[in-house]
Amino acid sequence: MAQGNFDVVVAGLRDLTPRVREFLLRSADGKPLPDYAAGAHVALHTVSTERGLIVRHYSLVGGNGLTDDARNTYRIAVQREDHARGSAHIHATFQLGTALRIGPPINNFPLDRRDQQVLLIAGGIGITPIYSMARSLVRRHRPFQVFYAGRHAQFMAYHDDLQQLAGQSARFHYSDSQGHPDLVALLHDQPEGTTAYVCGPSRMIEATRAAAAQLGWHPDRVRSEMFGAGFSGLATPFEVRLQRSGRSVQVGADVSILDALLNDGVPVLWDCRRGECGLCPLPVVSADSGIEHHDRYLSNEEKSAGETLCICVSRIRGKQLVLDL
Amino acid sequence: MNMTIEIAPAVEKTEEPPSAPFVLGGIADHSTPLIRNCWYVAALGSEVSRNIISRRLLGVDVALYRTLAGETVAVRNRCPHRSFPLAKGKLVGDVLMCGYHGMQFDPSGRCVNMPAMPIVPTNANVRSFPTVERGPLVWIWMGDADHADESLIPDTEWLASSQWKSVSGSFHIKSDYVAMHENLLDQTHFPFLHPGAIGTPEYARSKLKVRLQGDAVIIDRELRNSPPPAVYGVPTGLMGKPVDRFSDGRFVSPALHTAYARIVDNHDASGTPRTYRFNITHIFTPETHHSIHYWWFNSRNFNLQDAEADEYLHAASAKAYLEDVDALEWIMDVVRNDAEPQFDLNFAPDKPGLMMRQVLYRLAAAEAGGA
Repeated sequence: MAQGNFDVVVAGLRDLTPRVREFLLRSADGKPLPDYAAGAHVALHTVSTERGLIVRHYSLVGGNGLTDDARNTYRIAVQREDHARGSAHIHATFQLGTALRIGPPINNFPLDRRDQQVLLIAGGIGITPIYSMARSLVRRHRPFQVFYAGRHAQFMAYHDDLQQLAGQSARFHYSDSQGHPDLVALLHDQPEGTTAYVCGPSRMIEATRAAAAQLGWHPDRVRSEMFGAGFSGLATPFEVRLQRSGRSVQVGADVSILDALLNDGVPVLWDCRRGECGLCPLPVVSADSGIEHHDRYLSNEEKSAGETLCICVSRIRGKQLVLDL
Repeated sequence: MNMTIEIAPAVEKTEEPPSAPFVLGGIADHSTPLIRNCWYVAALGSEVSRNIISRRLLGVDVALYRTLAGETVAVRNRCPHRSFPLAKGKLVGDVLMCGYHGMQFDPSGRCVNMPAMPIVPTNANVRSFPTVERGPLVWIWMGDADHADESLIPDTEWLASSQWKSVSGSFHIKSDYVAMHENLLDQTHFPFLHPGAIGTPEYARSKLKVRLQGDAVIIDRELRNSPPPAVYGVPTGLMGKPVDRFSDGRFVSPALHTAYARIVDNHDASGTPRTYRFNITHIFTPETHHSIHYWWFNSRNFNLQDAEADEYLHAASAKAYLEDVDALEWIMDVVRNDAEPQFDLNFAPDKPGLMMRQVLYRLAAAEAGGA
């Protein structure tokens, strides 16, 4: 079973752009938080009076330039999204001293140290793990290129920090004036055997994979991390009724069924929280609308049968889901 | 009265002992947290092959093997699923397969197959450790991988150079690496613990200079016009002849101590002074707080083909280092088991060792984020 959660407090905050705010989260007891490597993220739990429990995932930046954060401090950057109200809540309510709970660091986007040549690609707020990776590569004196695309320099978090850190290795693309980046040309210009790490919106990841395929790259040479996997901006709240116990649990728009059940003290099995391990699927009695499956574990047949769902990432569009629990 | 008193057996602890909060200028001992952000030697290259081996380094079990292309790979010797020791699994090409449920990991530690699952879980990775092979040594970084800068690997080029000839050996020691480093910076014990071979009373009393260079502690000594001890006199053929000796002993890092010796014969048959060089390499990797993997190399830049010199240097070195090992194991036994605490006395010749222990303490405090 995964490690337990940690209590932290907001120990610092600064605006990186008009929409991106950086937060320093320090352990509530001052003791060191678990170690992590570039590419890791944490789940951040917070409660909104209107919206209930909110759980969002943020990459750990690791520090500023080549200075590392103290062992008891994690650094995250939160972009306020108009349609994702969890981030709006964070921007509106997190102040110095705000108490929060975070999950242990998870790394699904590790940097392979054996790579001889690395290309980092960031789109928008996808810069957070990419900046962390650039810090690692600079510190280890490894050759790399970093490509950071955003609308305009003033909207791009860590723009100047990356410039300063990576120097000649950094390239910036401003889509307001330059349009879509030419990813085929970018990949084509890389030295033989380069591995690309891309983090950004799904269309950027898809475009990078398509460019790599067009150039005949082995699919393994593109590693990616997408934010908001499983939670589209259109998620809506609904009620989960547990048929056997007769209990009802409200699932907010910013939380998974799993977290809502755990928060209400309903014992369930789970591990990976990303729709892969296959521990959390529960039998469905009824759903008043179709199930949105976001997992990788269930087969297409199981998904279309609609008799079960992975409660860590999947949800419904309607108002009520009845589970055989 | 009939009372039974149960005495708990001494247990070999592998976890870090609790340590006091760090204070400024403190001195490391065996209970100080181990320095993790440092290159250590995991194994000799000759030990790492297509047969997976396991070794405990800094308290962590590590599995070591080579890819088909010959690269060294180190991963945690513990499957992330049910803690099965991965070294008891097998290699399928470059992929390490767990012997319990057949989970497969590539050399970066990424899971590439899990037979019991319909998909490959992306979070099912085993921790891999950076390794670099240099000459006969395989270096490993057990700390924060984002700091594993290969340019920090200390220079041991003489171990791979055709201009040098080395004899070598290894020990597994039930002592701590702090004491071992201190032993090597303490040359006043030579005539007593190692009589005859490497110590002479004149040398023990000769003035030493100690200096700190970054995190290295360096002691310089010179002794002019004095006959060399056997360990230098026999291989050079200078026994009984007055020579000048210059030595540079240094704590290079938590993983390495080097001792460079120059023996200058001012009365060489050629008519010009001749210099003989010895580079002695002591490599330590803590296995736990109370045990060490120890490799030593005695290298010389003369008489490279002299098999008798090889034999003599190997035997003399092995004997002397075994004397160190015995002494340190006796000391560790006393320190751990004697109930009455003692604060050891320190004297002027202990300064280099104490400076080294301050460096270790400072590094440990920095890693812990304190002091």
